[in-house]
Amino acid sequence: MMLMVQDLRVTFPLDGRMGLRAVDGVSFELAPGASLGIVGETGAGKTTIARALLGLHPPECVQGSIRLDGRELVGLSEEEWRAIRWRRIALVPQSVGTALDPVYRVGDQIAEPMRYHLGLSPMEAWGRALEIARRVGLEPRHLRAYPHQLSGGEKQRALLAMALSCAPDVLVLDEPTSGQDMLARARLLDLLDALRRERGMGLLVISHDLAAVARLAERVAVLYAGQLVEVGPVQRVLGEPRHPYTWGLLHAYPDMSTARDLRGIRGAPPDPANPPPGCRFHPRCTQAIERCRHEEPLLREVGGRWIACHLGGLQTLLRAEGLRKAFSVDGGEPEERVEAVREATLDIREGEVVALVGETGSGKTTLGQMLVGLLPPDGGRVVLEDRELTAARGKERRAMMSRIQLIPQDPFDAVSPRLTVAEIVREPLDIQAIGTPEEREAKVCQALRTVGLPTSPDFLARRAHELSGGQLQRVVIARALVLEPKLIVADEPVSMLDPSEQARVINLLKEIQTERGLALLLISHDLALVRKIADRILVMHRGQIVEEGPGNRIVTQPEHEHTRMLLEAAPRLG
Amino acid sequence: MRRLGGEVWFGLILLTLCSAVAVLAPVLAPYDPHAFSGQPLERPSRAHPLGTNDVGQDILSELLYGARVSLIVALAAGSGTVLLGLLVGGMAGYAGGWLDQALMRLVDGMMSLPRLPLLILFATFLGSGLPQTIAIISLLFWPATARVVRAQVQSVRQRGYVRMARQFGAGHPYVFLRHILPAIGPLVAYGLVTSAGHAVAMEAGLAFLGLGDPLVKSWGLMMRFALNLPGLFLTDRWLWWLLPPALSVTLLILALTFIGIGMERNLNPRLARRWR
Amino acid sequence: MGTGHRTLVYLLTFWVILTLNFLLPRLLPGDPLAALLDPSSSDYVYDPEVRAALAAYYGLDRPLPEQYGRYLLGILTGDLGRSIRLNRPVAELVAGHLPWTLLLVGTALLLSSGLALLAGTESAWRRGSWADRGLVTAGILLANVPVYFVGMMLLLLFGARLRWLPLAGGRTPFAQYPSALAAALDIGHHLILPALTLTLAMVGAKFLLVRNATVNMLGEDFMLVARAKGLPEGRLKWGHALRNALLPFVAHLAAHTGMAVTGAVFIEALFSYPGMGRLIFESVTARDYPVIQGAFLVVSAVVLTANFLADIINLHLDPRLRERGVER
Repeated sequence: MMLMVQDLRVTFPLDGRMGLRAVDGVSFELAPGASLGIVGETGAGKTTIARALLGLHPPECVQGSIRLDGRELVGLSEEEWRAIRWRRIALVPQSVGTALDPVYRVGDQIAEPMRYHLGLSPMEAWGRALEIARRVGLEPRHLRAYPHQLSGGEKQRALLAMALSCAPDVLVLDEPTSGQDMLARARLLDLLDALRRERGMGLLVISHDLAAVARLAERVAVLYAGQLVEVGPVQRVLGEPRHPYTWGLLHAYPDMSTARDLRGIRGAPPDPANPPPGCRFHPRCTQAIERCRHEEPLLREVGGRWIACHLGGLQTLLRAEGLRKAFSVDGGEPEERVEAVREATLDIREGEVVALVGETGSGKTTLGQMLVGLLPPDGGRVVLEDRELTAARGKERRAMMSRIQLIPQDPFDAVSPRLTVAEIVREPLDIQAIGTPEEREAKVCQALRTVGLPTSPDFLARRAHELSGGQLQRVVIARALVLEPKLIVADEPVSMLDPSEQARVINLLKEIQTERGLALLLISHDLALVRKIADRILVMHRGQIVEEGPGNRIVTQPEHEHTRMLLEAAPRLG
Repeated sequence: MRRLGGEVWFGLILLTLCSAVAVLAPVLAPYDPHAFSGQPLERPSRAHPLGTNDVGQDILSELLYGARVSLIVALAAGSGTVLLGLLVGGMAGYAGGWLDQALMRLVDGMMSLPRLPLLILFATFLGSGLPQTIAIISLLFWPATARVVRAQVQSVRQRGYVRMARQFGAGHPYVFLRHILPAIGPLVAYGLVTSAGHAVAMEAGLAFLGLGDPLVKSWGLMMRFALNLPGLFLTDRWLWWLLPPALSVTLLILALTFIGIGMERNLNPRLARRWR
Repeated sequence: MGTGHRTLVYLLTFWVILTLNFLLPRLLPGDPLAALLDPSSSDYVYDPEVRAALAAYYGLDRPLPEQYGRYLLGILTGDLGRSIRLNRPVAELVAGHLPWTLLLVGTALLLSSGLALLAGTESAWRRGSWADRGLVTAGILLANVPVYFVGMMLLLLFGARLRWLPLAGGRTPFAQYPSALAAALDIGHHLILPALTLTLAMVGAKFLLVRNATVNMLGEDFMLVARAKGLPEGRLKWGHALRNALLPFVAHLAAHTGMAVTGAVFIEALFSYPGMGRLIFESVTARDYPVIQGAFLVVSAVVLTANFLADIINLHLDPRLRERGVER
C-alpha cells in the first residue's frame, strides 16, 4: 500500500485556542496507480487534506498518521518534508491564476524543482521541462513566456507539467476543473487519465465537481464537515448513494440529464469552529433519530462500501410488497372482478419524491389508498418504517397512520362543508386527542402559515364554500401537516385547479417537502408536471407498475411502450 | 468601543499636552519670548530654567510659545492640504471623464516635481511670513491626498445606493453631502492627521534652513540659531538650547504619526490570514 | 507606458520646472530681480562687476519672450548667472558642490537600500516574533523622527563627546594628500557621519516597505506552491519573496529620491558638508538669487533623472509592465 492516511485531524487556532476542526478523523488509502476522489462542498476540508499531504500546515495543527510506503510523515521537520515534497507527492493547486510566480518564465518554474530535487543542470532541466510540457500539450513558446501571457487553460497545463516534473508517486489535484469551460475540462480529464496509466501514479482528485470525479476516480470518498461519510466504488456511490448527505449532494448537482429543478439540502453547513454534537449531518438529515444527536457514527462497511450512519445509510420509509386489489363490477357477475391493482411492489426512501403516473383507470388512486391504509389490500403488505401497517391494529395502527397522510384530488370532497377552517385543520388533532386545546390552536395556525394562508379569526371561521379551490386545497394540505407525518401521498392534488394555482400548490408541496424532510408520493397523470419535482418515476398501466427509474432517465430514455405513449401525449406548448 | 493600541493613546496624550501648552503659553511662560530678559547665553538657573539664547531671550518661554506655531502650522497646513486634496480629488473622482483626466494630469505633474527644491524656490521669492509658509506647504502636499480621495470617491460613486439616489431625482450636492462625504470622512480625518505631521516637519525644516518667518518664535528657528553658534557641541549648551526644540518637534510629529497609525488600522479591514 | 513615452513626460516636467524658475521672480510684486540693480533698494548689489554681469544675464530691459529665449540658451551653454556673494559663475559653484552631494546621497541610498532589503526580508520571514516586532517599532520611529534630530544626536555622540569623527566639513581643511588613497580615506572619514545620518533617516521607511511587501508576498498562492515544491528556504526567501517585493520597493525608490535630496540638504547644513545643500543654505541666508535658482535647477534635474532611472529599472524587473505581444 503506497499512501495510507489514518485518523487525520487538522485543527487551526481560533482566538488563541485550537478551535477550528477543519479535518476531523479522515482515513483512506491509495495504492500505486489507483485513483481516489474526495468530494465535498466548500469548507468541508478538502483543500486542508491536500495541503496536509504536502506537510504545508504548521506541525502543531496536524495529528494522526500519513504513511508513505510505510514511512510516517506526520511530525517530520521542515527539512525532512522538503525532501518528500514534489519528489514523492506533488500538488496541482486550485488557484490557477495566482499559483505561478509572475516574475519568472513559466519554463523556469517547471524546471526549478528538478534543479533542486534531481540535481539537474539548468540546460538539462529545461530540456526535460520541454518534454513534459509537450506531453501535456504545451509548446516551447509557452515555456518562454511569463505567466500573465498565458491563458487559464495553458496555465493549468503548466501547473500540471510542473507537478509531474519530478515524477512523483502521488499526484494530488485540487479542483482541477474549476473555472474551466466544458471543452477544456474534457480534454484535461482525458489527459489526466492517460498520464495516470502511463506513469503508474496514484491520483488523488479533490473536487466538488462530481462529474470530473466520476471520470477520473475508481473510488470516491464523500467529505462532510471534515469527516468522511461514504466511501466506495465511484459508479455505485454516485449512481446509488446510500448516505443521506451523498444523496442530497447528488440531487443538488446540475447535470445535463436532469430536467428537474435543483433542490438544495435544507439547513446550512455547520460552522467548523462549532460542529453539532453527534453526527455532524443530523440537523439536516430527514431520518435522524435520537442517537444521531449524541453519538458520532463511525465509518462501517455496509454492502461493499463504507458508510458513517447509525442507521446504516438511507432508510426505506415505506415498502409495499405484492399488493393486490380487485373490485366487483356494479351489477355484474360476482366472478367478474376488475383487477385494479396487480402485484404492486415499490419502496419510498426517506426524503424522496416519487411520482406514480398513469392514465385514468390504471389503478394509481387505488394503490395510493392502500398505501395510506384507507383501503385494505386483498393481498400483499405495506411496511412503514419497519412495521407492518397492514397487520397493525388499534392504537398502534392509529399511530402509524398519523405518519402517513393523504391529500386527495377533490378538495371539496375531502372536507366537510359544515366545519370551519379552524375545525377542519384541527380535526386530526381532535381525533387523536393530542395536546391541550391551546396547543392545538397553535398547531393549526402554524400549519396554516406554512401553506401561506392567513390566520385571522375571520379566515378561521370561514367555511369550505367561501374559499377558492386553491385555498381549500391548501387547507387540506395544512390538515395533513398537523400530525407531522413522514410521508405525504398526494393524489392528483392539483388537477382540479387553475393552471396558475397548480404551479403554486406544486411548489408549495415541494417546499414543504424539502424543509420538513418529508417523503412525497405524487400520483398524477401529468408527466410534464411531475418531472419537475420527482426523483423517481413509477409508470403504472392497467394495475401494474410497468417501468420505474430515476426521473431524468424515464423522461429522456423511456423503455416501456406505455411510458413512451404517455410521454408523447404529454402536453407541449408549440 | 474600538480597541485603541497603546501607541494611539501615547499620541493622543502628547497632542493634548502640546495643545494645552500652546493655549496656556502666556500663563506658563515666565517671560515674553521676544523680551531681552537676561544676559546672552546664560546657563540654566532659577530665573531662566533653560537659560538664555545668544541675544538674551529666555529659552523656556521661546519653547512654550513655539508650541503655538507648530500647532497652528499643523492645523492650518494640514487643513489646507486636505481641503485642496478633497476639492480636486473629489471633483475628479465624482465627475469623471475629461475633468478627471485633466485634474489627474495636474496632480501627476505636481507630484513629479521635486519637493524641497520647489519649497526653497517659493519660499525665497514669496517671502517668509508664516502665512506664506503654510500656503507653500499646503500647495506641495495636496496632490497625494487628492489621489487617495479620488480613488475613494470613485469607488463610492458607482455603488448601488448612490445610483439609486440619482434615480430618485437627487441632485449632485445632495449625493455628495449625504453619501460621498460620510464615506470618505474617515479617510479625510486620517489625511488630516498625517498631513499635519508632515507640515510640522516641513515648517521646522524650513525655519531651520532660514526660509521661515524670522519674526515668529518657532522651534525650527530656535534650532537654527542654536546651530549658528560656533562650538555649540563642545560645551553643554546644546543640551538646553538645541535639544528641547528638537525633541519637541520630534515628539509632536511622533504623536501625530501614532494617532495616524491607529486610524489607519481602523480604515483597513484585516485581510484574512493565509496559512503558510 | 513605454520607455519613449516616459522620456517625453520627464522632459516635459523638466521644461515646466525651467519655466517656473524663470517666471517666478519676474512675476512677483516687489520685483526682486530689479531690486538688485536699484540703488534705492536694500538688495542693491554694490560690486559693479557683479552688477554688470547680473544685468547682462537677466536682461530686464528686454521684452519677456527674449529674456526667456536668452535664459534657455544660457541653460544650454551652461551659463547660470553669477553669484552675488562670491562673485563667481553659478555654474562653477554648482560644479564644485554637486559631486559631494552625489557622494553623500549615493552612499546613503546604497547603504539604506541594502540594509532595508536584508532586514526587511528576514523580518517578514519571522513575522510576529520579538525580533520582527522590535524592528518594526524601530522602523516606525526612524521613519518619523526628523532627519536633523538624528543628525544632531549622532554629531553629539560621535563628534563632540567621543571625538571619533569630525564635526564638520568634507575633508580636513587645507590638507595636502600624498596619494589618492590618503585623499579617499580622509574624505571617507568625513563622510561617515553625514552618510550614516542620511542612511538612518531613509532606512526606516524602506525597511517597513520591504517588510510589508514581503509579508504580502508570503500570503500569495505562488509562495505556497513554491514551498510545496520542496525548495530550500533561501530560494523561497530571496528567489521568490524578495524578488517580487523588489517591485514595490523600486517604485517607492523612484518616488522618494526627492526625499533623499531633501534629507541631504538638512544634513549638509548641519554638518557643514560642502554639497548643494550647504550651498543652498548659505545662498538663502544671503539672498543670493542666481545661486538659489541655479541650485534649484540642478537639484531638480538630478531628482528627475533618478526617478527616471528607477522607472526604467522597474520596467525591467516586472515582466507584466512590458509591451504586450512578446510571446503568444
